[in-house]
Amino acid sequence: MNRTCFRFFSFLLALVLLAGCQSAPADEGPGEKKNRVTVVMPPTSEPETGFDPAFGWGAGEHVHEPLIQSTLTVTNPDLTIGYDLATGMEVSADGLTWTVTIRDDVKFTDGEPLTAADVAFTYNTVKHASSVSDFTMLEYAEAADGTTVLFHMTRPFSIWPYTMAITGIVPEHAYDSATYGSSPIGSGRYVLKQWDRGQQIILERNPDYYGEKPQIEVVNLLFMEEDAAFLAVQAGQADLAYTSAVYSDQSVNGFSLLSVQTVDNRGVNLPVTMSSPTTELPVRQAINMGIDRQGMIDHVLNGHGTPAYSVCDGLPWYNPVNEVEYDPEGAKALLDEWGWPVGPDGIRVRGTSEMTLSLTIYYIVGDSVRQGLAAELANQLRELGIGADIKGVGWDTAYDDARFNPLVWGWGAHTPMELYNIYHTDPETGTARYSPYSCEATDELLDAALACPDLEESYSLWQKAQEEIAGDVPWVWLVNVDHLYWVRDGLEVAEQKIHPHGHGWSIVNNIDQWSWT
Amino acid sequence: MRHRLQFTIQKLIRMALLLLGVSVTAFLLMNTSPLDPLQTNLGQAALGSMSPDQIARLEEYWGVNTPAAERYLHWLGDALRGDFGLSLLYRRPVLEVIGQRLSNSLWLMASAWVLSGALGLALGVLAGTRRGRWPDRLVRGYCLVISSTPSFWLALLLLMVFSVWLKVLPVGLAVPIGADAAGVTLLQRLRHAILPALTLSVTGVANIALHTREKTADVMERDYILFARARGESAMVRRHVLRNVALPALTLQFASISEIVGGSVLVEQVFSYPGLGQAAVAAGLGSDMPLLLGITVVTAAMVFGGNLAADLLYGVIDPRIRRGAARA
Repeated sequence: MNRTCFRFFSFLLALVLLAGCQSAPADEGPGEKKNRVTVVMPPTSEPETGFDPAFGWGAGEHVHEPLIQSTLTVTNPDLTIGYDLATGMEVSADGLTWTVTIRDDVKFTDGEPLTAADVAFTYNTVKHASSVSDFTMLEYAEAADGTTVLFHMTRPFSIWPYTMAITGIVPEHAYDSATYGSSPIGSGRYVLKQWDRGQQIILERNPDYYGEKPQIEVVNLLFMEEDAAFLAVQAGQADLAYTSAVYSDQSVNGFSLLSVQTVDNRGVNLPVTMSSPTTELPVRQAINMGIDRQGMIDHVLNGHGTPAYSVCDGLPWYNPVNEVEYDPEGAKALLDEWGWPVGPDGIRVRGTSEMTLSLTIYYIVGDSVRQGLAAELANQLRELGIGADIKGVGWDTAYDDARFNPLVWGWGAHTPMELYNIYHTDPETGTARYSPYSCEATDELLDAALACPDLEESYSLWQKAQEEIAGDVPWVWLVNVDHLYWVRDGLEVAEQKIHPHGHGWSIVNNIDQWSWT
Repeated sequence: MRHRLQFTIQKLIRMALLLLGVSVTAFLLMNTSPLDPLQTNLGQAALGSMSPDQIARLEEYWGVNTPAAERYLHWLGDALRGDFGLSLLYRRPVLEVIGQRLSNSLWLMASAWVLSGALGLALGVLAGTRRGRWPDRLVRGYCLVISSTPSFWLALLLLMVFSVWLKVLPVGLAVPIGADAAGVTLLQRLRHAILPALTLSVTGVANIALHTREKTADVMERDYILFARARGESAMVRRHVLRNVALPALTLQFASISEIVGGSVLVEQVFSYPGLGQAAVAAGLGSDMPLLLGITVVTAAMVFGGNLAADLLYGVIDPRIRRGAARA
């Protein structure tokens, strides 16, 4: 190697060392200042289109509070409805007109007051953009006066307040659909200070917020893959980071594992069609009572989960009638009685016809939790004498496969609409949307719940519908997957709502109530 | 001169055909991919609480029901006029997204490219001139280990050592956590690019070093080396070996652009580095056809440009080729 070469390399080496040895600047050691917090989320949580409710900010897979904007209503920790901007709301008897009155003391962060006109503008804009938010039930919104908004609906929709809880109000005077997403103006608890796309979001406390003042002044939200997130925790560069059961037996100095209860459920559909043995009600009932949900939680989720009995465990519209005792002996007796005696190889065979009782459980390839659950379910079914295989498929064929075979699904939304879509008969196909099942009594109750002009009353109708469903067992719910986070000691994340499906923004829903001790 | 012009025009035509082919292939692959755009972008749970009407509207937006040929021709027509369309995912012009991502990626890739080229050449010559002795064995061992190491794993390892144990380098991102964008210094950006660039170069070195080593060993066997030795020449490596290894090394160096671009996809994921690779993954997994086609075309053009540069540089470096071209 000649001298020029040598000089070049020494220069390079020096540069690397120089940059490397420089001690970390103060702004990279979060947690030292007690008024800021650094939270790590998965890269999929970064809103691609920014903070525009018209393009799905707050809505969609990971429903959450928009933080930067105010909403008319909010969901309380028990998922009932409370008020944010709203001071009152009324529904007409036919369910087609909602009248919402709002506070008159709210200002956007540019100093302009928030009026009913802004609310109407927001809802009409979201409907028009028609992206992730389903606003097909809204005909149009109008401002009756400065503090009263009227929503004219195309069909009665009792759970409209749940939509209101995630729709952030944008200012009519400062809204441009091309730029609002990256430079939003709202009236919420926090202001977007900076967005380094693909990396981080920095939120700052809104000094003029009308509600209680948040303790945390600055929130840094980082987007990292799961293993990088864990490294960030180990390096002490984050205060709170999402993680999964895979890492849950690790321990990190100065951090503890936070396990949040969810309605992020996994369950299998049991097709009620002629070609499947699950057509027979006793078979479905036997599976429902013969599986050990706690066993699944221990084996697949490292203990971080709760047994699931419905698609909406613990939410206000949940009916405990769904719960079943784990009773393998009872399940076996039921199958024996119904004419599925155990054959010579331990699999149940129907009398003379040599028809065996066996199923193939489908799961989505690449989702290790669903695969693990499918395998565990198959094991448990074999103990009941039901032959069971598992098969991995992609989403391209999964929907079709599920019409004839049980598939492991994951649900859990903060709205009863999910319950409706899973169990209600689709008039076009004559069966429910995801799995062949149709029951007139269920349909009537679900429709009545959706059309009910009173939200409180609709809860009891949703519950009544579940009584019908619990009798039919068209789905068997397995587990609710706990959401796991590494939390720096001293950070209090206050009371968390039951988290919905997805592992992103839910944790910061109540960030205004977080504090350092 | 006429030859140069002819050569360049030929190359440009070839490039246009290549880009066309690449875009068709990318489109067909994406079109036959089992990913359902609604499923991947909205998620099953989001679809679960939506009415059929709304789902139909979204299918329209993501082009689920438009025939493939129509969609491609539409894209091609616009692209030829310089309009690469709007990214479905980001709802911003594709060129804007690519431009912003490329500015982050470019100097990450450039530094990795220079570093791996220089180091690879040095190690290759070192090993080739001392074939069979311990420097050769060391270099070969290193190269074989590195080429069989997945780059994302190496990235995690480096993060573990430098960020978690030594705590001297950041765990990711291109800028410090929570820092005001206006106040980010060049040195801070450099600190954040060190690990990704190092990972990229360390893996890039192996290939270049091994090839250079072969070529060097080849040169060392030649008669002119024997002759030079017999005359007792001293600066053998500089006068004879380097000059003869220069051309293949150049080819390798420019061909490695494609590997650097490909490698950056994985490395950027691990380091949460907001480059083109990260956007390519998002576009691919999210079925964002316009963005994916845009990125494919841009990166293909970069790789092609690299090869073209190598072709043009041959003449500059090697007087024999220059004279040969002039005669033709």
